[in-house]
Amino acid sequence: MTTAREISVEYLARVEGEGSMRVKVVDDQIEDVEFSIFEPPRFFEAFLRGRPYSDAPDITARICGICPIAYQMSSVHAMEDAFGATVGGSLRELRRLIYCGEWIESHVLHVYLLHAPDFLGYESGIHMAADHREVVERGLRMKKAGNDIVALLGGREIHPINVRVGGFYRVPTKKELEALVPELEWAKDAAVETIKWTSGFTFPEAELDFEYVSVCHPDEYPFNEGRIASSKGIDIPISQFNEFFIEEHVERSNALHSRVRERGAYHVGPLARYAINFEKLTPLAQKCASEAGLAPVVNNPFKSIIVRSVETLYAIEEALRIIDEYEEPARPCVEYTPKAGVGHGATEAPRGMLYHQYRLEDDGRIADAQITPPTAQNQLTIESDLRFVLEQHLDLPDPELSWVLEQSIRNYDPCISCATHFLDLTVERV
Amino acid sequence: MGDDAAGPIVLDRLAGRLPDTIALVESVGDATHLLETWRDAGLAIVVDAVVSGGVPGTVHRIDGIQGFPGGWRSASTHLVGLAEAIDLGSAVGVLPESMVVYGIEIDRVGPGLGLGPDIKAAVDEVADRIVALCADYA
Repeated sequence: MTTAREISVEYLARVEGEGSMRVKVVDDQIEDVEFSIFEPPRFFEAFLRGRPYSDAPDITARICGICPIAYQMSSVHAMEDAFGATVGGSLRELRRLIYCGEWIESHVLHVYLLHAPDFLGYESGIHMAADHREVVERGLRMKKAGNDIVALLGGREIHPINVRVGGFYRVPTKKELEALVPELEWAKDAAVETIKWTSGFTFPEAELDFEYVSVCHPDEYPFNEGRIASSKGIDIPISQFNEFFIEEHVERSNALHSRVRERGAYHVGPLARYAINFEKLTPLAQKCASEAGLAPVVNNPFKSIIVRSVETLYAIEEALRIIDEYEEPARPCVEYTPKAGVGHGATEAPRGMLYHQYRLEDDGRIADAQITPPTAQNQLTIESDLRFVLEQHLDLPDPELSWVLEQSIRNYDPCISCATHFLDLTVERV
Repeated sequence: MGDDAAGPIVLDRLAGRLPDTIALVESVGDATHLLETWRDAGLAIVVDAVVSGGVPGTVHRIDGIQGFPGGWRSASTHLVGLAEAIDLGSAVGVLPESMVVYGIEIDRVGPGLGLGPDIKAAVDEVADRIVALCADYA
């Protein structure tokens, strides 16, 4: 004789996008875990076909309201790869700087308003703000420091419009950049406090065997350039992405699911970047991570909130370095000649590696586009993680179990709007 | 844009019609930006497109300090929206002394559609009401 009960959450709050999570438990054994996306696919790849290469940064920036820079950067690097163009010097530094701004605003929003409430037992960041006003104000001010960078370099805070293939339409003066320094100096101290604050949370026990994947550069913590590396031995040029990773259509979902060929699920995002590139963090960021109790590799996804805080500190320090060393370039954009070819770009969005590939016609029109967002790459890992969390917490009453599952999904800061909107969580016990 | 351009077009209609002490600011609706814009303001007037099931072109007027109706929530969670920004501003104490929110009920949304006739009339009405409100406030 079996009995059935079902836990249903109307939607999973504080996660961008729309999709569903269905879990089936039979006789206390987890039979099935599905992480699905049910909004029609976004067709951005199709929108791009037939359009000029130069449209790609601004069109793809509209895929996501919180990480437009990532889309712009992966697209321009892919185009420059196809055209044989190299962007160096101050222009390259400005690209890293605008990426710093995006990481700061995205990470701080997630840490303070979306994820911390899970750990502190609040329904939302707004509820948390009532009891932790100073903390939330700190977060809002830190986020603004990131917004200001994006607004200055991108032309506006959301959906920036100043990035182009080869560089920028306009570059800032030294004086304009220096105006950002006082607030970034404040934000650096605030980021150190943020690491201390998040490391004091109570974390569920979890040590998962992830295959971490991120961009890896010999000299710097990755934003824009490098090779693709994994914690299980992958070390390839970006152009070989499709030889090692495969996107598959899963019947229940409109989004493609990615996996390592021959192996399976992998994980992109802060935990992956941190594990593969720890030694390239600044000494202060490494020190703060160590004092927060983090080893150079973190396998507890719940502690991603601390790693995200460490990356925030890194981004602030890196922004200050770039501004300090900045020399205004003679021109805002390098010259190049559009031509037929295939170009690849992989850069590090706040929530993980974002791969773009374009096939271009002689006149620079886009013949074909492939966009592989980080959330699509993490879906199998999220399913796998949810299975683990369920195994650990099956004895919890349904509301508490739902809370832990939602928290677990938010560990990945999924931006499902990148592939699709909203989540519906169902746990069926039979 | 279609009818969802109502807010920015109200701003266009207001250009040159308000005293210099009043700033016109276009916002994507991100809470951080809204709270920063409202900080230290005596009066904030917010105009946004809304879809609440009403007749297109209807103008809703809400006292922002009193809060929004329950159903008026942003769908996005990465971009914490207007209603959440007001709640958050209230919690951290950075709301202006007074806030009036005009919501213009919209219908058609799509690239290049422009404003429908009912929405155009509502936009003009809201602009006129804001001019009058600012005159009274001054």
